[in-house]
Amino acid sequence: MLEQSQPRGRSLWLWYAAGLFILVILTSSFMSKEAGHGAIAQLFSSLLMLLIVGAMGVYTWMTVRRVKLEQKQLEVVEELLQLRRWAEAAAMIGSVLSQPTKTPQARLLGLMFLTKILTRYQRYADATAVCEYLISLDVLDSDTTHAIRLERAMCMLHEDRLFDVDRAINELKRMPQAPRSSGLALLEIYRDVKTGHPAEALEIFNEKLPILRKQLGHRVADAYALIAKAHDSAGRMAEAQEAWEKATLLCPAVELRRRYVEIESVGEKYLAAAAPAEAA
Amino acid sequence: MRVETAIARCRRDLTFGTFLKGVLAATAAACMVLGVGFGKGGAAALVGIGGVWAIWMTLNYRSVRASRIAAGSPLLIAAGDYDRAEAQIEEALWSFSLFRTVKLMSLHHLAVLRHAQRRWAEAALVASAVLHERRGTIRSLSTRSRLILADALLEMGDVHGAYAAIAALHQEKLSLQEALNLTLLQLDYQARIGRWEEMLQGMARKIQLVELMPAGNAARAQAFLALAAMKAGREELGAWLRKRVELLADTEDLVRERPILQEIWGVKKGAGENESGARIDERA
Repeated sequence: MLEQSQPRGRSLWLWYAAGLFILVILTSSFMSKEAGHGAIAQLFSSLLMLLIVGAMGVYTWMTVRRVKLEQKQLEVVEELLQLRRWAEAAAMIGSVLSQPTKTPQARLLGLMFLTKILTRYQRYADATAVCEYLISLDVLDSDTTHAIRLERAMCMLHEDRLFDVDRAINELKRMPQAPRSSGLALLEIYRDVKTGHPAEALEIFNEKLPILRKQLGHRVADAYALIAKAHDSAGRMAEAQEAWEKATLLCPAVELRRRYVEIESVGEKYLAAAAPAEAA
Repeated sequence: MRVETAIARCRRDLTFGTFLKGVLAATAAACMVLGVGFGKGGAAALVGIGGVWAIWMTLNYRSVRASRIAAGSPLLIAAGDYDRAEAQIEEALWSFSLFRTVKLMSLHHLAVLRHAQRRWAEAALVASAVLHERRGTIRSLSTRSRLILADALLEMGDVHGAYAAIAALHQEKLSLQEALNLTLLQLDYQARIGRWEEMLQGMARKIQLVELMPAGNAARAQAFLALAAMKAGREELGAWLRKRVELLADTEDLVRERPILQEIWGVKKGAGENESGARIDERA
């Protein structure tokens, strides 16, 4: 997909049209000087010029239409991702990226969506490769680069590449977004839970909770779930129960367990909050 | 910048732009006809068409510049830099553009700015002006303007005006983001007129939508639903929603923005809370 989605270079069609246009003007001026051919040549050249202008208009219209269609497809993919309709999003992004995109911007956006889909399907190595490719292009703004670096680090952490994760976290901490980044806080909490440092995870959680809550919305459930695991590791059962209840109040337990295999034991050990029947 | 002046300026520029495009198209057509009909006027016609093309390209360049200026303001508004955003919008509105969409987009950005500044009357006035210009208005622009209008009218306490805007939004095909905004607006509106049972209809779908909102909006929407559940006597649902709200936002901020929500946490101190809270704990 990385290769197939490369946009094609600009077509030479417009240069041919411009050349033809100049040729018509020159022929017309030459023929109009020849006795007896002036009026016919003038009529012919005018009609040809109209034809060329019309053809260029149609070509431009078709190009704009294709670009708009591609943009529309990407908007649909974005909505499908938000709605967590992963299979449909995967099918659509596959069709967009399996052919040359109309614009480089559409390709970048499509690849960013692709990383989210790959992460969802737990294809962390592929997702990391796409993230690394996007970072290597060096064309994205600082905020987007920060988000992609976070995604890459999270994928590496899922794959237990702890040395790479540490390096990635250090790189992220040097970025201007670091102090206000809930994603970075979540990444560090996950790293500490995974490596058996519950005290450090709890410290980060307590410090960053306002940011986590504000920026992550319902995804703050992830942080509560990891904190439940941290409390459990530290032998604080009551606190673990409370954190797990908060996590499952915002997100179904099955979804949390799917996102983080490390909290499987927490899900089995503690009781989840029950949603009322009408809200389920 | 006075919004009345900005609206008048925008309308004048839209009329002038339409007139100018008409003149250029008519001149180009006349040159073509003259070039075809009169053999010896061919060169003059070509020069005429070239002239029209040069003027069109120059104006096009200025229009693109104006659209670039206009494109910067949403980021500044989102970052809370209202003074710079206002300066950019003013520059975009005062610069020439052949395209109606660019002018209307700048006016829409002014409505967004006034909405962010909580200057509700001005936001409603500008959003109405954008909606008034039906021709050349792209669909998403009119939908977003209508959402701003509905919210501004609600903030001003004009529930009838807000109802009309919300009803019109239901006739349109909305994107997911717009549907989320409409859901929140509608809950706000229904809470103001006390339609508690209606608010609780389709609860599972509403919960799904609410979970896609940013934290602040998700908390407010669920607070409205919690209030409706309590009013309708569905204590268990109300307590569940209230606990979710407390995890997402500071309740004092919510109550400050919508005093009607005070009732949720007022009830909490009474007997109802203990009963419903205990029920949740038992289930857990």
